[in-house]
Formats: sequence, structure tokens, C-alpha cells
Amino acid sequence: MAKKEHENNDEFRPNGTIAILVVFVITTLLIWGTIYMILISRGSTI
Amino acid sequence: MKQYQLSTGEKKFIGSHLLVAILALSVGSLFGPLQAFEHAGWDIYPYIKPLIKSYYQGLTVHGVLNALVWTTFFIMGFLTFNVMFGLKRPLKNPTLNKVGFWLMVVGVVAAAIPILANQATVLFTFYPPLKANWAFYLGLTLVVVGSWVEGWGLFMTYFAWRKENPKELTPFIAFASLVTALLWQICTIGVATEILTMLLPWSLGLIAGVDPQLARTYFWFTGHPLVYFWILPAYISWYAMLPKQAGNGKMFSDSLARLSFWIFLVLSTPLGFHHQYVDPGIPPVWKFIHSMLTFSVFFPSMMTAFTVIASLEHAGRKNGGKGTFAWIGKLNWSDPSVAAQLLAGILFFFGGIGGLANASYNVNLVLHNTAFIPGHFHLTVATAVTLSFMGISYWLLPYLTGKKLWMPKLAVAQAWIWFVGMIIFSNAMHVLGLLGAPRRVPLGLAPYVPPEWNSRLFQVGVGGAILFVSGACYLTVMLMTALSKETVKEEVEVPVAESMQDLALTPVWLDRWAPWIYGALALIVLVYGPVLFDLIKNIALTSPGFRVW
Amino acid sequence: MSAQPMHIHPYERNWMVFSAVMLVLFATAVSVAAFGMGIQVPAPEQRVDPRIVATDPNSPWSNPGLREVSPGKYDAYILAHAIPVWEYLPKEITVPAGSSVSFYVTSSDVQHGFKIQDTNANFMVIPGQVSKLTIKFNKPGTYNYICTEYCGSGHGIMYGAIIVTP
Repeated sequence: MAKKEHENNDEFRPNGTIAILVVFVITTLLIWGTIYMILISRGSTI
Repeated sequence: MKQYQLSTGEKKFIGSHLLVAILALSVGSLFGPLQAFEHAGWDIYPYIKPLIKSYYQGLTVHGVLNALVWTTFFIMGFLTFNVMFGLKRPLKNPTLNKVGFWLMVVGVVAAAIPILANQATVLFTFYPPLKANWAFYLGLTLVVVGSWVEGWGLFMTYFAWRKENPKELTPFIAFASLVTALLWQICTIGVATEILTMLLPWSLGLIAGVDPQLARTYFWFTGHPLVYFWILPAYISWYAMLPKQAGNGKMFSDSLARLSFWIFLVLSTPLGFHHQYVDPGIPPVWKFIHSMLTFSVFFPSMMTAFTVIASLEHAGRKNGGKGTFAWIGKLNWSDPSVAAQLLAGILFFFGGIGGLANASYNVNLVLHNTAFIPGHFHLTVATAVTLSFMGISYWLLPYLTGKKLWMPKLAVAQAWIWFVGMIIFSNAMHVLGLLGAPRRVPLGLAPYVPPEWNSRLFQVGVGGAILFVSGACYLTVMLMTALSKETVKEEVEVPVAESMQDLALTPVWLDRWAPWIYGALALIVLVYGPVLFDLIKNIALTSPGFRVW
Repeated sequence: MSAQPMHIHPYERNWMVFSAVMLVLFATAVSVAAFGMGIQVPAPEQRVDPRIVATDPNSPWSNPGLREVSPGKYDAYILAHAIPVWEYLPKEITVPAGSSVSFYVTSSDVQHGFKIQDTNANFMVIPGQVSKLTIKFNKPGTYNYICTEYCGSGHGIMYGAIIVTP
């Protein structure tokens, strides 16, 4: 097992990493979306 | 296994970079809180008038010393260290690197004199036709040229190593440092052109005017990749050092780490128009193309996030960490270097989100030149970068001097204080920006400030005060370590994480330079060429200089 | 080093695909706003000589102010300057609610900014260039326009106002 791990990283399953990144993505969508909605609500510039 | 050792002279050379960097940070950081206090209504500037004439002179000192001098000196020192330690060989031509270093030092002094004499109160963007004393532009040129010369020294060292090791994979920290140095060489062509063809001859009276729109375009050619020049050294540490420090973790993916550095090299220059979305002189179609390229360069940062966190998770689980999140607590938080870099990384998430919003083409209309922008870059350059560099110096200074780090507990506290202060400061700045507050304004005096900004302006002051305390702790730890008589018993170990993957599996095309360099240059020509050609063809040197401070 | 294709962990491969999808989503959203809803950034409008733009009688900025082009449609020529004092000319504009105003802004000295609070008008004012965006004012009230780029010691006092009457 230990030897195999050195050859490849497939055995390691970084589930915590995925969880952190999901939190990050949700935060991104919320913050970005809020600013985008401000833009939309203010209307056209041409 | 005994690590490769740098000679005393080499350590001194790296250490002199660190010394200039920290000196710059200590002076520059004195002025940060003054801006923040002004916002909260506690204006100290009138009391220091004999020394510093205005809010803007203070802001210029803060920006130039912290964003340009502290970063550049620390980075050149760290990259030089990584190349020597990574390749396990001395510099090919140490004299060349020394020449580069001293050019940078002379440049800083030359630029500092007019700044301190209030002859260059132009902020760190120095947009013409604000006209500074010529020594300011000359000094900046020397800093850039000095960093080029140091870069050439690193490349020559790499060529020498490659000759000795024709078949070997370039060790990651050396590889990533060389890519960073190369990125800097390519992107600084913009600001060098701006200064040498316009600002310097103009400040010397050789030409009567400048073209401000063209000058901005040259400036931002360098200005955005500049932020990658700042962040990539932190990435190097997060990828390849932090996992080791945090709990003997391994680097999750050597191949993807290398790929992300190559993507940064190719994509970080041809997107500078995202700082110029609301400039009048650039066609929207090109702004849109640059915005799409900006989205693309977000991709390698997403890859970095995955690889770095997965490597840290590996460390946390090795330390006995369980559960989805509980392993985070098992990282070596008591090591100040680890604490500082982890906290820097956490705030970088929010820096990334804000950056994505800034870069999103028309979304920039909501944010451009509001307080959101300094709010954003205090999470990136002033935290992700600066707090990481502080963390790196917590092992690098003991390594270079052989002295034991003074009061590691204070150093850990320093990182946390920075984290807390920055959350308060930066959050308030972001919100102020969304409410419409402009950047670069002494808001404590501005006549148009509505009452609903006041609570946030107060938070800006509080955050600034906390950050000041943290900065003072950092300088105390550094100073006391350098002066300490307590030496380390054994050589300080340089933390370098092993790769989780067998390095023999790293594809050969990730260690080939030419295709990536050609790709980077071709893309620059493609997406900058037409606009620059047009601006240069229609150049109008119609703006005389103004000194309105 | 290997001549084999790169090995990517399945988790990371999925994350990369997901990242790409998310970025495409953002790109689509800004494109819809730009090309579908007309929320655009400034385009090259006109070049001027900043040395004479405020004095040349043929230049609209020698007599800055509001011109009615057709009922409810206005052109506003605004001059930003730091000399002799930091201000916009005119300092105040009054239009009735529902008006659509095209702002043409330039500078006779250093760089300035121009941001009308609570609207999407926010752009750089660069000597030698003319910045233009068009804004429709539906809600009565006072909208400050403020300078958003450092233009010397008076940067923080540089502002004007649009008064939208019911």
C-alpha cells in the first residue's frame, strides 16, 4: 500500500478537499451573483 | 538524509534581499493605518506635516514601499534561494546577481528621495500627466532592470544545471521559481516601454507631452501579471513547502502543479485590459476578449486550490485527522509559518471571489475604482502574499542566520491578529465600495459621504489599528531573532514536500520551455498587438505635465 | 520524466471540469448583460486636444452643459479639471424623471474618474479622450457624480450632482 501510494495518488481520496471547495463555490456564486444583480438592476448604458 | 547546504556568502545574499524587503515593509506599513484612521475620522496627517505633507504623500509611500519594494525584494530573494536549493548548485555567475541586487537598491533610493521630498506624490500607479521628478522614474527603471539582471543570473544557473543534468526533471521549487522569473521578464516590457519612451524623457524635459491613454495601456500590460509575480512565490510555498510543514504531507499532483505554472506564464499577460474596462480609448471587443482570457487564468488558480488543499488534507490525515473538516485542526497550527500561510490561504478565497467580480467585464461598472478595489487587493497582495511571505520568513530567517526564532508564540499570534484585522478592514472596504465609496479619497473629509457609510468607515479604522499591531509584532519578532544570541542547535530544515506521484510519471512536455514561451509571446501579440498598434499609430503627445499635489 | 499522457486523479479531473463549467456560466452571464441588456463598457468616442478642449470655441466643452437632443433625450458635455480647482463643469444638471442622458466627459488636465452614484455610469476620464455612456433616470432624486481617480490633493472634494425632478 505504502509503496503503491508513491507511484500514484489514486488511493488517496481527498473528500475534505471536495467539501471545502463546495463551500467555496457556493460562496462565490452568492457574492458574484449579488454584485451581478446590482449591475442588472441598474440597467442599460447604451 | 542531509539537505543541500547554501554557503555563508549565499545565505548573506538572500538575507540582504530579506533585509531591504522588511525595511521597506516597516516604513510602508506605518502609513497604512494613517489612511485607515483618516477614514474613521482620526486624521493624524496634520500632526506630521513637517515630515509628510499630505494624505497622498503617505499613500504613495505606503503603496510604493509595500506593493512594489517589499514584494520585489522578498520575491527575488526567495526565487534565488529556491533555484539554488532546488537545483542543489551555486549560482552560475554570482557577480551578475549581485549587480542586479545593487541596481535594485540604487533604484529604490533614487525613487525614495523624490517621494520623501513630496516631488513624486503620484501613487504607485503614477498615471501621467501627473508628473513626478525624473529620479522617481529613473529609480523605478533601475528596480525593474535590476530584477531582470537577477533573473538572467537565475536562467544562466538553470542552463548550467541542465547541461550537467540533461535527462533530469527540474525540481519543482526551482522550476516554478524560474517560470515566475520568466513571467516577470516578459510582462515588465510594458512598464519599461512606458517609462523609457514617455515618462523619463518627458520628466527630463526632452519631450513636451505624453499620451495618457497609451501610458495606461503600457502600465497595465505589466500591472496585471505583476499580481501573478506577487502570488506565484506564495503558491510555490503553498504547493511544495506548506504541506511538509503542516504535517509531513506530500504534494498531491506534481504534474498539475507544473501545468498550472505554465498556464500562468501563457495567460497572465494577455489580459491587462480587464483593468481598463472603463477606459475610453480601447474598443469593447478587445476588452471582452481580455475578459474571457481572464476567466481562463482563473482556471489554474482553481487547480491550485485543489492540489494545495488535497496536499494539506494528506498532511492532516497523517497527523491523525478524521472527518470531513476535523483534519484541518490537526495541521501544525502551532508553527507560526504554517499558521500564517494557512490563514493567508483562507482569506485568498475571498480575494479570488472579489477578483473574479472585478474581472467580469461589465460587472466592473459597479466596482471600478471604488473602495472595493483596495478591499480586494488587501486580501490578495496584502494578505495572501504578504502574510505568506511573513510565514516563509519565520523559517527562512532562522535558516539564513542560524538564530532561533524569537517567541514563536508571538509569531503565531501575529498571524491571527493580521487575519482578524484584515477581515474587519477588508470587509468594510468591500461594503463601502458596493455602497459607492470611491478609492484613493480621504473619506473622512469628502463632502459627499452619506451617513450610512460612517459605521463602515469606523470599521476601516479599527481594522487598520489591529493590522498595525500585527505589523509591529512581526517586525519585533524579526528584529529580535536577528539580534538574538540564541542559535539553533542543528541546521534549520528547509521544508520541501515530496511528490505523492512518482516523478517518473511527470510527462516530459511539462519540462520543455520553448513551446510555452512561444505560446505566451504569440498570445500577447495576438490580443495586444492590434490595439497597441492603433494607439501607437495615433499617438498624441498632447498632455503636458501637472503637479497638482 | 515520462512520455505517457499525464495522470490526473479522478477527483481532480471532476473538479477541473466543474471549474470550467462554472467559468463558462459566468462568461455567459456577463455576455447576456452586455449584448442582451445593453449594459456595456465605454467605447472609443472621439479624441480631443486636452490643451485647447476647454477654450476652443468649436469644442462643446468650452461651454459644458446639458443639450436637449429630442424630447426626453439629452447630451451632457462635462469637463473635469484639477486646475484652477478640482471640479466638474457644470456642477449641477437638472433633468425630469424618465430622461435619457448621454454623458460626454473629458479632462483638460490630469486623469479623473466619473461615477454617478446608484447607476451604471462609472468610467475613467482621460485627457485626449472622450468617455461616453448613456443612462436613463427613472427615479426622481439627487445623484452625485464623484471623481474616482486620484487627480491631486483636491481629489476628495471633486463632485457634482444630477437632480432628477418628478
